[in-house]
Amino acid sequence: MSKVTTELDFFGLEKKQTNNAPNKPKFKKLLDRRRSFREIQGAISKMDPEIIKSLLATGANPSETSTRSLSVPSTPKEDHQRILISPVHAPLTRPSTELVSGTVPMTIFYNGTVSVFQVSPNKAEDIMKVAMETSPKKDKSMEKHLSVIPPTTLRTKLFGQNIDGDLPIARRKSLQRFLEKRKER
Amino acid sequence: AYSNLCLLLLLPPFTVLDFNPLLDETNRILTMEDPDNKKLRSTPRNADDVISLVMPYVTDPKDRESASLVNRTWLRADSETRYHVTMALCYASAPDRLSARFPNLRSLKLKGKPRAAMFNLIPDNWGGFVTPWVNEIALSLRRIRSVHFRRMIVRDLDLDVLARARGDELEVLKLDKCLGFSTDGLLSVVKHCRKIKTLLMDDSSFLEKDGKWLHELALHNTSLEVLNFYMTEFTKLSPRDLETIARNCHRSLVSVKVGDVEVLELLGFFKAAVNLEEFCGGALDEDPETPDKYIKLTFPPKLSRLGLTYLGANEMPILFPFAAQLRKLDLIYAFLETNDHCKLIQKCPNLEVLETRNVIGDKGLEVLAKCCKKLKRLRIERGADEEEMDDERRGADEDGNEDLGYLVTQRGLTALAHGCKELEYMAVYVTDITNECLRTIGAYLKNLRDFRLVLLDQEERIVADLPLDKGVRSLLMGCEKLRRFAFYLRPGGLTDVGLGYIGQYSPNVRWMLLGYVGETDEGLVEFSREGCCPKLQKLEMRGCCFSERAIAAAVMKLPSLRYLWVQGYRASETGQDLRVMSRPYWNIELIQARRVPEADEMGEVSEVEHPAHILAYYSLAGQRTDCPPTVRVLD
Repeated sequence: MSKVTTELDFFGLEKKQTNNAPNKPKFKKLLDRRRSFREIQGAISKMDPEIIKSLLATGANPSETSTRSLSVPSTPKEDHQRILISPVHAPLTRPSTELVSGTVPMTIFYNGTVSVFQVSPNKAEDIMKVAMETSPKKDKSMEKHLSVIPPTTLRTKLFGQNIDGDLPIARRKSLQRFLEKRKER
Repeated sequence: AYSNLCLLLLLPPFTVLDFNPLLDETNRILTMEDPDNKKLRSTPRNADDVISLVMPYVTDPKDRESASLVNRTWLRADSETRYHVTMALCYASAPDRLSARFPNLRSLKLKGKPRAAMFNLIPDNWGGFVTPWVNEIALSLRRIRSVHFRRMIVRDLDLDVLARARGDELEVLKLDKCLGFSTDGLLSVVKHCRKIKTLLMDDSSFLEKDGKWLHELALHNTSLEVLNFYMTEFTKLSPRDLETIARNCHRSLVSVKVGDVEVLELLGFFKAAVNLEEFCGGALDEDPETPDKYIKLTFPPKLSRLGLTYLGANEMPILFPFAAQLRKLDLIYAFLETNDHCKLIQKCPNLEVLETRNVIGDKGLEVLAKCCKKLKRLRIERGADEEEMDDERRGADEDGNEDLGYLVTQRGLTALAHGCKELEYMAVYVTDITNECLRTIGAYLKNLRDFRLVLLDQEERIVADLPLDKGVRSLLMGCEKLRRFAFYLRPGGLTDVGLGYIGQYSPNVRWMLLGYVGETDEGLVEFSREGCCPKLQKLEMRGCCFSERAIAAAVMKLPSLRYLWVQGYRASETGQDLRVMSRPYWNIELIQARRVPEADEMGEVSEVEHPAHILAYYSLAGQRTDCPPTVRVLD
C-alpha cells in the first residue's frame, strides 16, 4: 500500500530547508521541525482560517501547495513613512500656563463640557452678567446646566488643584486612602 | 507536544493513519500526555478525532479564535476544549451564550466597571453585577474551578449560590476590587468550598460583621496556597487564626497579603509559614522610644516578594539580611524617603519587580539602574503633592545644580534606559520629561511590552521640552513589542502631528490611554488614518479637546476597536453627534455629568463637578437593562 502523505507547508518552514530533498528520512524531518517549533508558536493566529479551509478542501497536490508559504502580515512600516504636513489653519490652542498680563483663567461648565478662557476681570463680569440676564421665557433646565464659576473659587470647586482648571489628574483610590492614613500616623 | 501538533497540521485529513509511523509516534505521545482523555481510542480514525486531540494543545486565545473559524468541526473542537475565558467587559456577551459556546469551561475571568473606577470616576452602582453569571455557573457550567471577578458588584447571595453550586471543586475565587458583599458571603464560601486554594479580596469594599470566615478557614482548610486581603479594612480578624492557617497549610501556603495587622502580632504566623514566598501588608508602627521594637521579627526562609506597610527608615534594616534574595519589592505604602530608597535598593541586586511612589526620585532611579540589572517591572505611583513641594527638596545644591534628585524626571528615566535593559513593564508619574529621554527609551528598552507615562500637573514645574511629538515617535518605533501604551500629558504636550505619530507607529498596541493629547479634531483624523492602530482594541481618552463627531468618526475607522471610554471632550447638546458611530452590536452609553460631594486634602467637603463620560463597546447581548439613573443608553 502506497503511503500518500501530502505536506501542506502552512508555516513556510520549507523556505529554510531545501525543498528538493525527497529522500530525507522522515525522522530527520521530525527533528528539524522540533527545532523550529518556536517559529510555529503563535503562527496559527496569523494564518487566515479561509486559507486553511481552502487547503483542506483541495486535498493532495504537493507541487501546487507545498511551496506555498503563508506570509505573516508584515508590520506596516513602508506605508507609514509619509511626511505629515501640519494643518494649514491655526490650531486651536489651549490656554498656556503663561498668563497674558491682566487675564486669569475662567472655567465654564456647560452641559457636561468644560471650557477655559483667559479673560480680564472686567470681561468676566460682563460674561457673568450676560449669563444671568435670562430671557422672559426662562428655561429651567438651561439654568441647571449653566454654571459660571468665577476664578477665585475655581480651585476649591474643582477636585482641589490644577493649573488651568481643566480635568485634573485623578488619584487612584487606594493611594488616596493611604495618603489620608499617613496623616494620622 | 508542539512539534507533534505541527506534524498533525501538516497532514491532510484523509491519510490512512494506521500505517503512518509519524502519526503513530504522535498518537503514542498524546495518549501518554493526556490522562484526562479516557475516551481516547488507540488510533484516531478520521480528521475529527485528530483535531479534537490536537486542539487542547493550542493554548493561545488568539490561535484558538482563528482555529475555530476554519469549519464547524474545528469550531466544535475548540468549544469543547476551551478551558479558560477572559471577558474584558462582562456586558460584551450574555451568560447563556458563554455556556452554550464553552460548556466545559474550568476558569472564568470577568471585568465590570471601566478602569476609571479605580480613580473614583465611576459611580459605585454603575453596574457589573455578577448575579447573572453566578446563576449561569450554577446552572450550566459544572466544571468551573476558578472564578475571577474584577471591578464588579458581588452580593452575599451571589457568593452563597456560587459556593453551594461548586462546593469542594472550587479552587480559586478572586474578588478583585469588588464591592457589595459582607463577611457572611465569605463565610459561606469558606464553609462550602473546603478545598479552596486561592482566596483573594484585594482592594474590595464590603461590610465586616465578624471574623468567622477566617476562623472557619483555620479550622478546616489544609490546601490553601494564596490568601489575599491586601488593601482591605478588616478589623475583626484574629492573628491566631492566621497562624493556624499557616501551620495547617504550611506545605502549600506560598503567598499571603493582609490588611493593616500589626506586624508584631504576626510573629507566630511568620514562624509557621515555612514555605511562604510572598508577603504584603501588615502595619509597622515605629516607636522612637523602642528602637528595637521589631528585632524579634524573623521572616520565612524562602521569602522573595515583600511589601511592608508603613515601613520606615528605622525599621528598614530588618530587610537587609535577606535583601539579596528579594525579587519583588512593594514600597507603595511605605514611609521611605529618597535616600532610604537608595540604601535599600542597592542591597537588592536580584530585584525583578519594584513598585513605589515618586519619592524614589531620580537619585533612587539611578541606584536602581546601577544595581538591579534584572529589573523587569517598574511601577512609580504618584505620591502626595507635598512630597514634591517640600522646600528641603528643592533649591540648588553646592554645585548649583537645581535638580537635587528627589523628583522623577528625564534624568532618572534615562539612567533606567541605560541600566535596566530587561524592562518589560514601566509605569511612571513624572514631574518633567524630554524628547531625548523618550528617544533613549526607544533605543535601549527593546523588551518593553507595556509603557505608561503620566506628566504631573504641578504648576510650579515648567516643562521646557514640549511638545513630545518627536520623542514619542522614536519611542514607539524603537519599542516594537509594545502592546499597552499610556501617554497622559497636559495642554501643549502633543500636537496633532504627534497624535498622528502615535497612530502610525503602534502596530502591536492593543490598549491605549491618552490624556491631553492633540490640539484639534485633526489630531484624531491623523490618529485613525488607514493603517493606524491596526490592533487597537481598547481606547481610553481623557481631557482631550475633540468633538463628539470627531471621536465617533475615528471609532468607525479603527479596525480592531471594541471598547471606548472618554471623559472630557466637546459634547453636543444631547450626544446626537455620537450617532455617527451607530452600528449593529455597538452599544453607546453616557455617564451623565454629575456633582459629587468630595473631601479634598484639607478635609473640606465641596461639590465637585464630574464631566460626562462616553462608554461604547461591542456586545452580543444587546443593550444594558440594568443601568442606574446616571447611565444613559443611546439608542
